[in-house]
Amino acid sequence: MKIYRISCAALIVSGILFIQLATSGCSSGPGEPAVRPDTTAKKTAQPALYKVEIRQMKFEPSELKVKKGDKVVFVNEDIVTHDVTEAKRRRWTSSPLKTGEYWTLVVTESSDYFCSLHPVMKGRIIVE
Amino acid sequence: MKIFKAIPALAAVAVLAALFVTEPVLAQSPKLSDPEIASVAVTANQLDINYASIASKKSKDAEVLKFAATMARDHQAIIDQAVALVKKLGVTPKDNAVSKKLSADAEATKKSLRAKSGHAFDKAYINNEVAYHKAVISAVESLLIPQSQNAELKQLLQNVVPALKAHLEHAEMIQKTMK
Repeated sequence: MKIYRISCAALIVSGILFIQLATSGCSSGPGEPAVRPDTTAKKTAQPALYKVEIRQMKFEPSELKVKKGDKVVFVNEDIVTHDVTEAKRRRWTSSPLKTGEYWTLVVTESSDYFCSLHPVMKGRIIVE
Repeated sequence: MKIFKAIPALAAVAVLAALFVTEPVLAQSPKLSDPEIASVAVTANQLDINYASIASKKSKDAEVLKFAATMARDHQAIIDQAVALVKKLGVTPKDNAVSKKLSADAEATKKSLRAKSGHAFDKAYINNEVAYHKAVISAVESLLIPQSQNAELKQLLQNVVPALKAHLEHAEMIQKTMK
C-alpha cells in the first residue's frame, strides 16, 4: 500500500498517527485526501512511504513493490508479538514488536522476510 | 482416530479430542455457558504454557526452545486478553467438567514428558504440540465459538484461531526435521 511522499522530518514529528491519517486520505473515493502528496518536491529526494499491517498471523500486503530508498512501516495490529526479519542472512530485524508497536525499514534491496517468532509468516519486498 | 493411535499417553490431547473432535461424541458435547467457555479457554492456554515451561527446562534444542518460548509468550497474551475481556464484561470464569478434566489429565502428559530426556523429550514435546493444537483448534471452531453467546467473547475466540493454526504449522515444520 503506497501511502504518500513525505519528508523524513515530518515522519519523525508526526509518527504513526500521521501515517494512518495519510492512509485514510489516500483511500479510494471521490473526495480529496486529508493529507495531499507533495507533488512539487523533487521525486529523487523524497522517499515514498508504505505500510504493511501485521494481523491474523499475516503480513498485509505480503508482497510490496517499491523503489530503493523508499520506507516501509510495519505495524503490529495482531494479538501477539511479532518481528520482521530478513530471511536469507538475517541482515536486518525489527526486534520483537508488541501489539500496537511499529518499525520502519528503509529499503536498500529486494528482500524476503519472515517473522522469526512464527516462521510460517512470510513476506517479500521487491525493488523495481 | 489418528491422535489416539499416535500418542496414546497424551491424556490432555485425548480429552480434548474425545470431547470435541469425534463426531459421535460431538453430538453429545456439553453445553457451556460463557463463563464456562472462558474457563476452558484460559485452561487450554495455560496447559500449553505449562508444557512450554517443561520444554524450556529440559530441551537443549535451539528450535524447540525458541518454539516453547513463542508458545509461552503467545498463550499468555491470549490469556491476558481473555482475562481483560471477562473483567470488562463482569464475568467470572466458571470451572466446569471440561476444564477440570483438562487440568487433571494434563498431569499425565506432564508426567510423561518429564520422564523423557534428550531427543526423545524433544520429539514427545513437539508431537504433543502438534496433536494438542489440532485438538484445540477443533474445539474452538466446533464448540467454543458456536456456543459462545457474547459477541466480544466470540470475536476473541475467532481472533485466536489464526494464531493456533500458525502454531500448529510451526510445530509441524519442526516435527518434519526430527528423525
